[in-house]
Amino acid sequence: MRVLVVEDDKDLNRQLVSALGDAGYAVDTAFDGEEGYFLGDTEPYDIVILDIGLPKMDGISILEQWRRSDRKMPVILLTARDRWSDKVQGMDAGADDYVAKPFHMEELLARVRAQVRRASGHAKSEIECGPLRLDTKSARVTCNGQQIKLTSHEYRLLAYMMHHNGRVVSRTELVEHLYEQDFDRDSNTIEVFIGRLRKKIPVDVIETVRGLGYRLSENPAPTA
Amino acid sequence: MRFNSLAFRLFATAAAWTLLVLPIAGFIIYQLYRDDVQASFDGQLLKLVNAITVDSMGSAAQEAHPLPPSNLYEPLFEVTHSGWYWQITPLQPASGRKLVSPSLATWTLPSPAAKSVVPDLSGARWLNAKGPKGEPLRLVEVIDSLGHEPGKPRYSIVVAGPQDWLDHLVSNFRYRLTTALALAGLGLVAVTLFQVRFGLLPLRQIEGGLAAIRSGAASTLDGDLPAEIEPLQSELNALIRSNQAIVDRARTQVGNLAHALKTPLAVIANEARTDKTGLGDKVVEQAEIMKDSVTRYLDRARMAARAGVIGRVTPVGPVVEPLVRVLQKIHQDKGVVITVDCPPDARFSGEKQDLEEMLGNLLDNACKWSQREVVLKVEVPATTSRAKNRRLLITVADDGPGLNEEERKRIGKRGLRLDETKPGSGLGLSIVLELANSYGGSCELARASQGGLQVRLNLPAA
Repeated sequence: MRVLVVEDDKDLNRQLVSALGDAGYAVDTAFDGEEGYFLGDTEPYDIVILDIGLPKMDGISILEQWRRSDRKMPVILLTARDRWSDKVQGMDAGADDYVAKPFHMEELLARVRAQVRRASGHAKSEIECGPLRLDTKSARVTCNGQQIKLTSHEYRLLAYMMHHNGRVVSRTELVEHLYEQDFDRDSNTIEVFIGRLRKKIPVDVIETVRGLGYRLSENPAPTA
Repeated sequence: MRFNSLAFRLFATAAAWTLLVLPIAGFIIYQLYRDDVQASFDGQLLKLVNAITVDSMGSAAQEAHPLPPSNLYEPLFEVTHSGWYWQITPLQPASGRKLVSPSLATWTLPSPAAKSVVPDLSGARWLNAKGPKGEPLRLVEVIDSLGHEPGKPRYSIVVAGPQDWLDHLVSNFRYRLTTALALAGLGLVAVTLFQVRFGLLPLRQIEGGLAAIRSGAASTLDGDLPAEIEPLQSELNALIRSNQAIVDRARTQVGNLAHALKTPLAVIANEARTDKTGLGDKVVEQAEIMKDSVTRYLDRARMAARAGVIGRVTPVGPVVEPLVRVLQKIHQDKGVVITVDCPPDARFSGEKQDLEEMLGNLLDNACKWSQREVVLKVEVPATTSRAKNRRLLITVADDGPGLNEEERKRIGKRGLRLDETKPGSGLGLSIVLELANSYGGSCELARASQGGLQVRLNLPAA
């Protein structure tokens, strides 16, 4: 899952990046409105955390422009202005949620998870796919009730695929959604991680769709 | 009409002037008329005396005695005691003959000359005396000698007319004059009264306009006012506008302050949470207190900035609609259904933002705790009293776990949170309480029929 954080306060920005990074997200960051707008307009983010009071371009205008140009990723507004009229304005501009400063990081993370889930069509905080279960709250994956220990990158990959289960996910898509902007994008690394996941998961859940990408299968056969 | 009022001042001065001037004018007119009538009566008497003198003395140059007047002049001279008399008496009684009008009978007219009345410029002497029946008479006397020749025997010629007829005429006039003037006075007073009322009508209009502003039915003093009051109207509207500008500015500043304080507070708290020593916990705790204080006092500042602002009316429907839209979006996962029952004419007498805060916080709380269903009901009970006292009753109920009686008493008092598991600042309900109180309203907690919490707001309606 790839997150964009647009926040001009350097300390808060750093805290958000580290908290989201710890929670398994690939985080891009912007410190002013123009930069934030550009990133959100060009990169495929799974969610955006957007401060309203920003230099150069305010959050509401950024959001409105994104929505006008049909950028549909979930956006959580972050602001000190917690009047209901501000909330209404923000939500009407196209935001999906609203978090008032100062906030508990856990609450923000919970809302981020909820929005990501909602965007991929999952109502509950636990996503199931055949024998696999992903608990988005605790960032744990189990297979037939047994926990699978995953590294951060493996988790990111599997979590993304489970959010988008039932459809084919291309390598490019995975690269775009799993790594930060300045990451060296080599789709071979994806193959390496897929290989590692296949080894760790006792059932053959990851199908390779030739020429297209990967898909999680609902009725996997147990691996040898 | 109150004693200390513009209307009374205007009316009293006008009425006093009328009441002073009319009697004086009446008195002067009466005097002039009486003098005029007297003069014309005297002129008639003088003409008669002169005619009789010429008639009886002028042609009697060769005679030893005056001749009786050949003309009758006045028919009433013939009627006994008619009040009209003439009398020719010799000044030397031994040598002359006395002539009298038949009306005089045996009566003798007094001679003004004998009473040493001084003659006027034409030589006539005037006297008021009593007649044979005691009636007042006006006498004029001319002294002449036979044939107008000096040296001949001299006679006193007296003509008398009834003075009471004159008095009657004058008193008749006085009665009619008094009546006419009294009617005129009454009319003037009535007109003054009307004038004052009509003239001060725009003040009533202003009074009505100000009441409308206070009750919130209008935001400015409208209407076509007279040129004299127009500056007052524009100044008043300017005052209202500047008042509004001050409030808006205060709001903006408070918002800026909030923004400026909240981001550093968020940074401090988040930073401290990652610290695992005791210091971090302490900082988090204190940052929370600071956050609550900032929120509380910013809200207070906003309320204070609003206090004394007049004339705001907020239709409830347009406030509820976006709130419901936003809350349903926020609580989408839960699938909360917010049922709204709001009459279209429900209006809150106060700031839009305050109503938004109250309803937003209540609905948000209800959505957080509810299973599925939140009900918002707005009522404006019909009152028999004046529109000023109309109330707006807003009920927010949910089907969540609700609160027991002891919890209901405790909550809202100091903005404390009963359950830390649900996110939220915990200040929501206490802000609602404070806002409701600042509008002279109330906020009561009860058990909802759906099982959850029911919050009932009582606010002034417009």
